[in-house]
Amino acid sequence: MVPLCYCRFLDRLQLRELKDSLIIFCTDVFSAMLIRATGQNLRLAYLFSLESLDLVKQIEVSEILSSGDIAALIYLWNPFTIVACVGLSTSPVENMAVILCLYGACSRLIPLAAFGWVIATHLSLYPAILIIPVIFLLGCGPDAPPRKLFLQRHQQEEVLNQSKLPLGFSWRPIIHFAFWALLWSVYVLVLCGISLKQFGGIWEMFKSTYGFILTVEDLSPNIGVLWYFFAEVFDFFRNFFLIVFHVNIIFMILPLAIRLCHRPCFLAFVYIAIFSMLKSYPSVGDSALYLGLLGWFVNELADMQFSFFLFCGYFGVSLLSPVMHNLWIWRGTGNANFYFATAMVYACLQIILVVEGVSAMLNHDRKLRNLTTGKPRDAKS
Amino acid sequence: MLANQHVLEGNRLVNDLTSSNLKSSETGIESQRIIARYMLDLGAEASIHKFHRQLNHFHPLHFFSSPDSGIIEENYSCSSYGINTVGIIRAPRGDGKEAIVLVTPYNALKSGLGEALSIGIAYSVFSLLSQVTWLAKDIIWLVADSRYGEYAAVSAWLRDYQTPKFSSLSTLDAEMCPDIDNLYDLKVNSITGSKFSSSFKRAGTMAAALVLKVRNKSDQFEDTISIYAEASNGQMPNLDLINVVNYLAVHRQGLHVKVEKLWSLLNSSWLKILGEIFESLGKVAKSLNPKWKFGITATEYVEGTATLASSLYYQALGLPTGPHGAFRDYQIDAITLEILPKFSSDKVRHSDILLRGGRLIEGVIRSVNNLLEKFHQSFFLYLLTSPSKFVSVGVYMIAFALLIAPLPIVAASLYVDASSLGNCSKSDKSTPSASLDTDEHSITIGSWMWLNSAKLVFLVHLWGAIVSLIPYVICQIPDCTPTTSFMIWVLLSMLSFLTLYSVLASPLSCAKASQEKEWALVKSVTISSVFIGLGLMSVINFATAEIGALLMVPMCLLARPLKLDVRAGTLRSFSRMIGNLVLGLIAFPPAAFFLLKGMLDGFGSVNVGAFWIWVESLWAWNSATYLFIGMVHLPCWVLCIHILLHTC
Repeated sequence: MVPLCYCRFLDRLQLRELKDSLIIFCTDVFSAMLIRATGQNLRLAYLFSLESLDLVKQIEVSEILSSGDIAALIYLWNPFTIVACVGLSTSPVENMAVILCLYGACSRLIPLAAFGWVIATHLSLYPAILIIPVIFLLGCGPDAPPRKLFLQRHQQEEVLNQSKLPLGFSWRPIIHFAFWALLWSVYVLVLCGISLKQFGGIWEMFKSTYGFILTVEDLSPNIGVLWYFFAEVFDFFRNFFLIVFHVNIIFMILPLAIRLCHRPCFLAFVYIAIFSMLKSYPSVGDSALYLGLLGWFVNELADMQFSFFLFCGYFGVSLLSPVMHNLWIWRGTGNANFYFATAMVYACLQIILVVEGVSAMLNHDRKLRNLTTGKPRDAKS
Repeated sequence: MLANQHVLEGNRLVNDLTSSNLKSSETGIESQRIIARYMLDLGAEASIHKFHRQLNHFHPLHFFSSPDSGIIEENYSCSSYGINTVGIIRAPRGDGKEAIVLVTPYNALKSGLGEALSIGIAYSVFSLLSQVTWLAKDIIWLVADSRYGEYAAVSAWLRDYQTPKFSSLSTLDAEMCPDIDNLYDLKVNSITGSKFSSSFKRAGTMAAALVLKVRNKSDQFEDTISIYAEASNGQMPNLDLINVVNYLAVHRQGLHVKVEKLWSLLNSSWLKILGEIFESLGKVAKSLNPKWKFGITATEYVEGTATLASSLYYQALGLPTGPHGAFRDYQIDAITLEILPKFSSDKVRHSDILLRGGRLIEGVIRSVNNLLEKFHQSFFLYLLTSPSKFVSVGVYMIAFALLIAPLPIVAASLYVDASSLGNCSKSDKSTPSASLDTDEHSITIGSWMWLNSAKLVFLVHLWGAIVSLIPYVICQIPDCTPTTSFMIWVLLSMLSFLTLYSVLASPLSCAKASQEKEWALVKSVTISSVFIGLGLMSVINFATAEIGALLMVPMCLLARPLKLDVRAGTLRSFSRMIGNLVLGLIAFPPAAFFLLKGMLDGFGSVNVGAFWIWVESLWAWNSATYLFIGMVHLPCWVLCIHILLHTC
């Protein structure tokens, strides 16, 4: 059904370069398959942790939705994904690299994870910060409730069953990962160096790719907020604000890493959401990625507040912003502020989504703790 | 300044045109030749532009794209083309990058004195402008062949002006149609060394455009000018253009300026009473503090309201009120000026009209000519209450915002109630100690309960989209009267509804948890979708959103299952039930249309086919109102009826 829908879109547009679009379409399908596989991994991990906490009776297994399927479906059916695919954007390729990295880390395929991470960083720079969740994933396995919960639980029962304890942090895979990442990046850089010899070499590439991303030179309107800001800002403040905006992302890395270190995949989701909000040239393709990944955590985020509000907000903004763009560019009756207003609302929605997601996840952890510690009290029910 | 000599020349052209009209009526080529020769005599460049008649197509999404896309080349026959005559004066002081356009619609086949007079006015201005030294922008005079409608001719010319063609299509066409060749030959023979050309001539980007018409049959007691400004989808030209015309007409030429009014409102007694109340209130306020000057007289109030209503109505329709609408699609400010001369028949009156009309046009052109930029300082979004007064977007948006402000609030409160009640009803049964357990059970539903209702709302909107696409199919059926088309439309929509319902009935009917509160969630989601739809429409076409909100907001807010109201049996619930039923009847789009039409024109003339014709005009003119009715209004009505009939 989904390919059918895609094909109809492609027919409609009568694209000349069908080959390109086919590649991008296949990329999307492949990403969805990887998301599904990772989601199944995460579900198994979730079930395992519930079992080791003896909470299986409280939370009936049948009620635990298969999050991989949901995430893959959300990713494929998301209008943002479809738009990015039909528009022949390259963001599906970037998304695939990110997903490849997470998939590799979840299924402990260290070379694959390193490859995904290197390529994703090479393509859009921002996924570089995903190295932190990847290290956690490789070091202590996929998402689980906090480790001290397990320790408490086993102290309570006074049976030290080592097999039920999650593994501690192990450095071996991380050293492997570092080795492979180094290997892949050297490989990529050498290839780039060879192919770009006649265009000014590798430094020119750094300048016009990462430099272009970091200095926000292109101020054409997009769904982010930076273009407007840097069009307005005085030139002698420009460098200062460039630093401020990029440090903004870096500031959030450490606190989140400390708080969510037991849930590396969710941490990766939060990072992706944050950098797709604050990156210099955001597109709906980036939103498609983190909205798809949101599907991994349906069981944990079931009690998320404002879900309806967020849905309506995303729906409204994605309809309103093309209309505002039309009003500004084509009809000439509006101005840039109209369009920028929708971009700001969109940024606010993303912030609310991240904040609500994190708080729902922490609430879920709290609930699990209450269930384990309060076990004797409600055992009868 | 326009002098008598220019008026005399204009008069000569009028006489030539009217007499040529008498002697030959063969395809109207003759009059085009006369006009072209007059243009050339002034030293202007003249050219002709041939266009084909565009048939009405179904393209409802067209309003959103740029105007030149989606034009399909078709096989035309020689019988259905029109000829525009275009004259261009190059500005002696300009760089040729900007131009001002003057349009006079002219139907050579059956032209009256009015059309000849409008050409006379344009010609006298043109002859003046060919001599002046202050001209900084090129002047384009387009004599639009209006045998297939004024709008079609102007839009065809504009399309060719804005989208250069690099193929040799036009020459091929000319070879096929001998009449045109005829015209060229005559030209070349008669005027040697002229600037006449058969190719398409261009000047710079258009700064502004004026469409000039003279209506001859009028019973006015003084010379009057009507201004028509509404373009497609309620877009208006910059207010400064109207202000310039109004100022020059009233203060320089002593003409009476008027804009369209809803005449039936002028005689309504309740409006008069309201106006008197406001008048007395204003007097009281003035007696309290002489600085407060918001009092207006009752007649002024009634006239302002009638004008406002008509402004709102024409903007809401989304159809252009004249050939100026074609310009707005290319971001060019344009208005139509219709001159209604005082009733008389002597020749002196003609030259008087030529003089005053010509001076007005000259003044407007001079004002635009002196500008360095396009009009952009003043408003684009406004409603007119008189030629010199308006309601700006900042004022009318407040009223609209207040009107739709309850929607998100009610949606939120319903949503919170429904989701909290769903949880409470369960935890009431069990002991508090087990509350944690029940929390765990609701883990899968949690805050995502609304998804079921959202699915329903989405499906109904999908059905709305299908309904709005069905006319595309009906269009293909040949020889359909409006009534049968409408009947087919209704039948097909019902059929599609039933199909959708039967295919997806099982997920719709099985709302497992909290059946009693399901309607509240549906209502909440409906209200949110209506809010988004209205907000969106208020940006695209404010007037449509305003009228739609007046119908939909009360319906959405009041909707409540009839069963509950019947069960309650109090007076309040009974009155609410009556209100619901009445609103459910009125807010159905065809019913609303018939009611409005009946109130304006009398119920005698209402028939079923009228609705079809109305809808057809909406999509043929790419009105966004059509999409609004199909995708927002109709689904909302269906959902409200669903809530009313809910079994709980």
